[in-house]
Amino acid sequence: MHENIYLPNLCKIEKITDETPDVKTFKLAFLDESVRNNFTYKPGQFVELSVLGEGEAPFCLASSPTRRGFIECSIKKMGKATQAIHDLLEEGDVVGIRGPYGNGFSVEEMKGNDLLFIAGGIGLAPLRSLLNTTLDNRTDFGKITIVNGARTPKDLVYKYEYETWQKAKNTSLHLTVDCADESWSCMVGVVPKALKEIKPCCDNAVAIICGPPIMIKFTLPVLIEMGFRPEDIVTTLERKMQCGFGKCGHCMVGGIYVCKDGPVFNYAQIEKFKEEF
Amino acid sequence: MKIINKSEFLGLMEKWISSPGLIAPVNVAQTFRSADKEKNLIVFKKIETKDEVLADYLNTVKPVKDFFLPPSTVFDYERKDEGYNFNLSEVDGKETIIFGLRPCDAKSITLLDKVFSEDSEYKDSNYAKKREKTVLVGLACTSPDIACFCTSMGISPFSIAGLDALIINFKDSYVINTVTDKGKNLLGSLGKEAGREIDEEIKTLEESVKLKIKKTCNTSKNLESSFESEEYWTKVSNSCLSCGVCTFLCPSCYCFDLSDESAKRIRCWNGCVFLRFALMSSGENPRATKKLRYRHRVFHKFKYFREKFGENLCVGCGRCIRHCPVKIDIAEVVNNA
Repeated sequence: MHENIYLPNLCKIEKITDETPDVKTFKLAFLDESVRNNFTYKPGQFVELSVLGEGEAPFCLASSPTRRGFIECSIKKMGKATQAIHDLLEEGDVVGIRGPYGNGFSVEEMKGNDLLFIAGGIGLAPLRSLLNTTLDNRTDFGKITIVNGARTPKDLVYKYEYETWQKAKNTSLHLTVDCADESWSCMVGVVPKALKEIKPCCDNAVAIICGPPIMIKFTLPVLIEMGFRPEDIVTTLERKMQCGFGKCGHCMVGGIYVCKDGPVFNYAQIEKFKEEF
Repeated sequence: MKIINKSEFLGLMEKWISSPGLIAPVNVAQTFRSADKEKNLIVFKKIETKDEVLADYLNTVKPVKDFFLPPSTVFDYERKDEGYNFNLSEVDGKETIIFGLRPCDAKSITLLDKVFSEDSEYKDSNYAKKREKTVLVGLACTSPDIACFCTSMGISPFSIAGLDALIINFKDSYVINTVTDKGKNLLGSLGKEAGREIDEEIKTLEESVKLKIKKTCNTSKNLESSFESEEYWTKVSNSCLSCGVCTFLCPSCYCFDLSDESAKRIRCWNGCVFLRFALMSSGENPRATKKLRYRHRVFHKFKYFREKFGENLCVGCGRCIRHCPVKIDIAEVVNNA
């Protein structure tokens, strides 16, 4: 990467996919061939993506490191930088990328376990990175259960991959929405409620959960009640992050820099943090 | 330690002005159109003529960190056919001598080093280059004021930590204590051996200056127990204006912003006491109240940084106390926590 830690490497936008009315997925390739070939990352890590002159913001990598030559970020229109990303960028444009940053998921430690993926809305993005990594190494993992929720059917992301996931060996996908429409044939209700109906087994299983804070807050007690140990519940924390390497101070919680020491933590670690999440 | 005649030393400093370049404390009060012309407004500045240099002052208003971590660093870029070209001419890494920083400021540089130049994974190349190319010649402090508490922070007004050489004002001479190779190369050939008698006198002088420092900060205190005390942190932060002067004048505060604005990438200071510092684009602000922000500042300085690096992120320079518009006293806040 760049010798100067504050400066990005340049990436060309190869493809833009409309996921939902306010989420787009950007497929990016580094302009510099050696960077493109040597860029490696772990699921759960993130990059700082910049529209030069407009702004920079952190996004988790939604692509899987098992699929080389490109990276993907799914971006929801929220603030100044994401507004610029949505409104100004077209395929072929150039953006800046710094990273990868953060600890990422401990994929090695998950090997041999059953995996329960729980996602809400755009929270599926980092889980998709891990999910596709595990599917590309399917024999290393046990049963895979995916519980994916969204506000409405329109807000579901990566719909084009559901079929692949459903067909994968020993893998089940459960979809739920808060508000259904006439076309909807899957579950209705918030994620914790769906989880209670699905009743996933906690033996030798790791739960990986990502979504809006309110979903995480109400899902954690359900998992504990089902018998999951706090060490086996993994989530990613959200904080304002700017530099990505534990210096600028924005994401600090207690003595922890979420950007560098996180963003992936297990529930046992989070319980020890004094400040509220 | 060596001893040198003052005029001889000042003559040498005059040479540094043209080569390699000298940065030293200057009183800039006269250049302001304010009513405060009588006041001392002492800052580090690139020296043009020898008459500007001050040898008698308490401390600069702004710390020496400005030189290594400028209030804002701008990375210009221009569009090219495919992508952008970054213009990095800003990092020239010219050799410079900084004269006249107090031992407290020198110590603060060693704390910043831990974050910016000693982090092998994410090293700030600008910072590291400047550190490498700069010789720090400190000036021992002989008249601390009531806000100073360096002696509580493991240093003294004569400390050499972070310095390449320390100069001590001694009667009509300067005593020179060269610390590093850089210091020895610059000053090693100067003056004559001070001898044991002067060494002893310097020690006595140091002890007498230390005794002038009355303020203490009890850093052995376990802050943990105060964390949950809503009452305490509300009380101590109640008058805080969230103006951020404590963070900007602090020689060891280093939080910053990184932003993109019209063809520029800007790295500029920010501070944890500002309302929007932790605000996320979702609208959620994890430190929306003054008590949470002020508590975080104190805990970062006296707990979190110490857990990570073994030292407090404070050197007792007293600037945050001296310049706080509502007289919040961080040493007292720690003592009473």
